[in-house]
Amino acid sequence: MTSAALVHVVVSGLATGSIYALMAISLVIIYNATRTLNFAQGEMLMISTFVGWTALRVLSVPLVVALLVAVIAAAVLAWVLERTIIRHAISATHFDVLIITLGLSLMLRSVAGFAWTHDEFPFPSFFTNRPLVVGPVRVAPLSLGIIGASLALMLALGALFRWTRLGRAMRAVAQNQRAARLMGISVERVYSSSWILAAVVGAAAGVLIAPVVFLSSKMGLIAINGFTAAILGGFGSMPGSVVGGMLLGVLENLAPLYLPASIKHSVPFLVMITILIVRPGGVVGRVARRKV
Amino acid sequence: MRGAAIATGAVVVLGWPWAAPRYFVFLASLIVVNSIVAIGLNLLSGYTNQLSFGHAGFLAIGAYTAAILAIRASWLPLPATLLAAGLGTAAVGLALGVPCLRLEGLYLAMATLAFGFVVVEAILNLDWLTRGNDGLHVPPGHLGPWALATDTARYYLVVVVGALLVAAARNITRTRTGRALLAVRESEIAAQASGVHLAAYKTLAFVVSAFYTGVAGGLFALVVGFLSPDSFDVFLSVDFVAMIIVGGLGSIFGSVVGAAVITTLNDSLAGFQNYRPLIFGAILIASMLFMPGGIASALRRLPLLASQTPGSASRTPGSAPRTPGSAPRTPGSAPRTPGSAPRTPRQGDDR
Repeated sequence: MTSAALVHVVVSGLATGSIYALMAISLVIIYNATRTLNFAQGEMLMISTFVGWTALRVLSVPLVVALLVAVIAAAVLAWVLERTIIRHAISATHFDVLIITLGLSLMLRSVAGFAWTHDEFPFPSFFTNRPLVVGPVRVAPLSLGIIGASLALMLALGALFRWTRLGRAMRAVAQNQRAARLMGISVERVYSSSWILAAVVGAAAGVLIAPVVFLSSKMGLIAINGFTAAILGGFGSMPGSVVGGMLLGVLENLAPLYLPASIKHSVPFLVMITILIVRPGGVVGRVARRKV
Repeated sequence: MRGAAIATGAVVVLGWPWAAPRYFVFLASLIVVNSIVAIGLNLLSGYTNQLSFGHAGFLAIGAYTAAILAIRASWLPLPATLLAAGLGTAAVGLALGVPCLRLEGLYLAMATLAFGFVVVEAILNLDWLTRGNDGLHVPPGHLGPWALATDTARYYLVVVVGALLVAAARNITRTRTGRALLAVRESEIAAQASGVHLAAYKTLAFVVSAFYTGVAGGLFALVVGFLSPDSFDVFLSVDFVAMIIVGGLGSIFGSVVGAAVITTLNDSLAGFQNYRPLIFGAILIASMLFMPGGIASALRRLPLLASQTPGSASRTPGSAPRTPGSAPRTPGSAPRTPGSAPRTPRQGDDR
């Protein structure tokens, strides 16, 4: 394996990795606010990408507008789900909400099957797939575009968490819900905002990755890689999610080169178990202790 | 009254093959197999609040272990084969549980979800052993001089094993270990303060759960007679979760009822595959929102039954009224059990 080819593999790994990172971020946004996992995150991504695709096909709008449609659809879907279903379990244990999101993921996938069938569809991209040749190195602009767009989105999220009122409120709730409430923060509003924000990030990730993996009702399974990426980065940490996602993407692309090719689908699991054995707090994080 | 109900149940279960058509005998065997898985899963979820989305993977490991033993080591008596299926699966559960249950949080749910896919992948790739996608025919078992060649014979085998495992699950709480698990269920913090090693007991519950599922897998192989990797996909794991949610968390009776309901529903929806996830998803959400204790606790709230079994609720794990969601699990809220001594621990952070 030449180093030029290695560059190609690593760059495309970073591209899928940035999507895993976005997935992990959207899971962590909800986890930090509500201390529960959203097992429907992948299916929400899938549905909103399908809505964008429908706008593209039926109204033949430009791709940017389709992205906007997908994002709006995601926000509306998340808001409706949060207000009609999740909110009713607000006082329940994380276990209950977990089961509810599991039910949601089944229903959303089924609904997508009725609306768009279970086939795979090609999805147009902002970026061309014709390789960019720099000396001996060949890189797909598609990969670079995905990495660039994801990084831009992550920076925007970072700014939102750091400098806006909503971001501060979300960080406060993540740190200590009771104290946040006593400071006059509406925890309920933070719940809703978290769901909407997570769905919007997911929709953007969906539109970015759909040209690579094809659009299908099975697309939501990408959430498993999002879980792995989040664990790899120490669950709950945003910078950790980014590092974890990138690392997972690269590992997943490198593993079949050195190990039997059939290992590729097992990489997320092996990575997850390894990190939990070796460094349970994640590559950049540390183990959170529950205070009594 | 309670005794009469149990006696009636026993007569119905034992007489079933003589009254029902052959297909329904097969279906009943499947219900018992699924009940064993559901009881195993419930020992995990009902006590430690952890969830597994990988029990289809455990069922597959048990089933393939039993099938391969039956083919390659046919001299092995059937009970030994089933035991080996259970122990092998429990060993895998131990390897998976140790890293995932060391930490606070929902790592097990995430890891088992990925685990389920890995098991299917492994079955496909080890095709010299498992015959991959072609599937594996399981020879009928022998129990001493009897060949288990009919649905009825297999049904009785499954019922006997199921009864043994139900009895074991009911008795688990009478041991020191069982009391520790009860304490973990009531309050993790209080249990920890009383010297219960949380990670060890959670892992133990997971290993026992894997053992149950492995034995069920061995029975599954015998009952169905043909194994292929696509019968162990993630939706089967979701079915198992649905069984304990619908039936009732922390209830053995509920596990059996849930298994019966979900298995029958699955069977009757066989012609409507596209609607299945929609219906199951709706059932899961509705159970959590409107019937948090499952069927077991809904039945217990009926005045007729409630008046007849007073007090029994807090003694046995099978019938303890535990409705997740109805009460916040604050430390010290329910020191019902021996071993969870501190009545009023300091109230502090939510987490």
